[in-house]
Amino acid sequence: MLRASILRARPALRPIAPAARPQWRAAQRFYADDKKLSETAIPNPAPTVTPSTSTATNLTNGSTIRASDIANLPHEPKTTTTASRTAPVIQPATTPPTGPGSASVAPDPQPPRPKKRRLRKFLLYSVLLSMLGYGGGVWYSLVSDNFHDFFTEYVPFGEDAVGYFEEREFRRRFPGRAEQPRLYPQVTGENKITIPSKSGLTPRVAQEGDTDLSQKGSHMSAVADNKPKQTPDAKKEKPSESATKAEPKKQAVAAAPPPSAKPISQIDNLNVPAASEPIVQDVVKLVNDLITSINADASHGNKYDSAFDKAKSDLGKVISDINLLKDGLNKSAEEKIKAAHGEFDNAAKELVRRLELQMQDQETHWKEEYENERERLSSTYKSKLQSELDTAQQLYEQRLKNELLEQSIALERHFTSSVRDRVEAERDGRLGKLNQLSNSVKELERLTLEWNSVIDANLKTQHLVVAVEAVKSALESQATPKPFITELAALKEIAADDAVVSAAIASINPTAYQRGIPNAAQLIDRFRRVAGEVRKAALLPEDAGVASHLASLAMSKVLFKKSGLATGGDVEAVLARTEILLEEGDLDGAAREMNGLQGWAKVLSKDWLGECRRVLEVRQALDVIATEARLQSLLLD
Amino acid sequence: MSSENSNTVATVPRTSRPMSEALLNEKWDRCLSSMLIRSGLGLSFGIVFSVLLFKRRAWPATVGLGFGAGRAWEECDTSFKRAAAPNKDGLRVIRP
Repeated sequence: MLRASILRARPALRPIAPAARPQWRAAQRFYADDKKLSETAIPNPAPTVTPSTSTATNLTNGSTIRASDIANLPHEPKTTTTASRTAPVIQPATTPPTGPGSASVAPDPQPPRPKKRRLRKFLLYSVLLSMLGYGGGVWYSLVSDNFHDFFTEYVPFGEDAVGYFEEREFRRRFPGRAEQPRLYPQVTGENKITIPSKSGLTPRVAQEGDTDLSQKGSHMSAVADNKPKQTPDAKKEKPSESATKAEPKKQAVAAAPPPSAKPISQIDNLNVPAASEPIVQDVVKLVNDLITSINADASHGNKYDSAFDKAKSDLGKVISDINLLKDGLNKSAEEKIKAAHGEFDNAAKELVRRLELQMQDQETHWKEEYENERERLSSTYKSKLQSELDTAQQLYEQRLKNELLEQSIALERHFTSSVRDRVEAERDGRLGKLNQLSNSVKELERLTLEWNSVIDANLKTQHLVVAVEAVKSALESQATPKPFITELAALKEIAADDAVVSAAIASINPTAYQRGIPNAAQLIDRFRRVAGEVRKAALLPEDAGVASHLASLAMSKVLFKKSGLATGGDVEAVLARTEILLEEGDLDGAAREMNGLQGWAKVLSKDWLGECRRVLEVRQALDVIATEARLQSLLLD
Repeated sequence: MSSENSNTVATVPRTSRPMSEALLNEKWDRCLSSMLIRSGLGLSFGIVFSVLLFKRRAWPATVGLGFGAGRAWEECDTSFKRAAAPNKDGLRVIRP
């Protein structure tokens, strides 16, 4: 805009008549600073060349040629060119009018093209739209039932399309049933079954004659229709029966068939009375079969009668011959059997005789063997008995001998023992006195030993007493408290395993023998000092502060001192009593008195009391040990 | 026992604790010294304040002295009170 205004302000800069100038300006109007227009770098090189090089006259030709060339180039340049071409039409709205309008006079280079293209576009759009609409319709018909009805009814091929999609959906949902076509065959276009119009039942007026059941007909007689059926059945049955039956009944059987043969005489069946032979029976049966077959044939015309008669007579001859042969054979067989019987009887007799002979021989043989065996057994038994008797005799003798020996030994032993007894009795009588002497000597030895132990114990107790005395003296003779460990150790060693002594020593506080204990004089001395302090704190109340301390300090100076066995529980009286007791030597009582103090007084006298206690403990332990030593010395006698 | 005793001779230490009868005296010493020091400090502070702030008035010095002495007094008091009662450190105190 700024640029445009500048250009407007300076018309001298305007080009004289470049038709394409305004559009370039329009494209470059973003450059706010004043650049040289001819040298500005323009984004795409193709158009830059044209305005700078071409004049106004060849502009249209050059541009058209360029456009056609550029149309084959990639898309970007084409758009720019189109922009450049349409620029005179469109741009002047934004840009101010630049000239007299010569640029707008330039005709649009190709007016017919857009028409074709528009048609094509229209076709493309319409096809696209219709396809889109069709697709949308199909989709919406899948969604909505109402639309489905409408779509399938009015839109061509709508039903097929929707059906195809429904089918796909159905298959996707139920893959197992995919093979069955869901649409009916009518829909899919298979053969339709057409039922002709004449088919089915049609009504008809009934006729009189046909329906009258009282009229004569096949249905009226129950017999007439059945007869022709039964006769072949009888014919079939009877030959089969005759075949199974025996030969002698053939006559009766053959008589049954004839109802059909009337003009032709029947051939008689063969009758053989003695036809018990199976072969004969077969032959007769054969002939009879032939006869029956011929009889059945109505047209034989009695031509086989002579032949059959001859055959019959021949058969009779043959049968008689067979019978004769049979009789002859029977006779010869009987004779042979008789001869065999005789032979067998002879052989049996011979056998029985031989057996008897054998049995006799065996009997004699067995008897001999039996005798021999009996003799042998008896002899062996006798010998055994003899030997047994011998051994029993020997045993008895041996036992007797043994008993005799034992008796002799016992007698001998008895004798020796009696001798020894005698000798021992004699000896005791003399040696008894010697034994008494030795006993008395032993008694003396024992006595002396006992006295030794007594002396030892005595010495021990003496040592103990000495040790105790040593400790006591050490305690009393000291000027300042000294440790008395060595003395105590000696005492303990002497006492060795005396439980009382060790217990007494253990009862002493270790500080006592490690630091030593003060003697009576030192105790009293210290008590005096302690008493002075205690007296200062005598008047202190419970939980005293500085003021009460000061007061007590001041007041204690003017307090009256008590002395002697003062009565009362106040501090002054207690102190007086303790002093008296200490002077008397009653350390125990003094400690008890001081222990009765309270508050600051007790706190101040605590150390002194501890010392007193230690001294008392030591004294008590030493007393115990001394008493123990005395007891030991007393126990000895 | 003897051998043990000989062994444990050195083990029982000689305590540097003052004798019980000297306890009160020692407290007094301590109290006096602390009173001196604290009252001196208070006085000096008072003097400084009076010089710096209060145009050399007398009362700041006396107030300082009073503070110091009072403080020392209080300490002394508590020490006396505490010492009379048996030490209860480490014991649970059950109040009714």
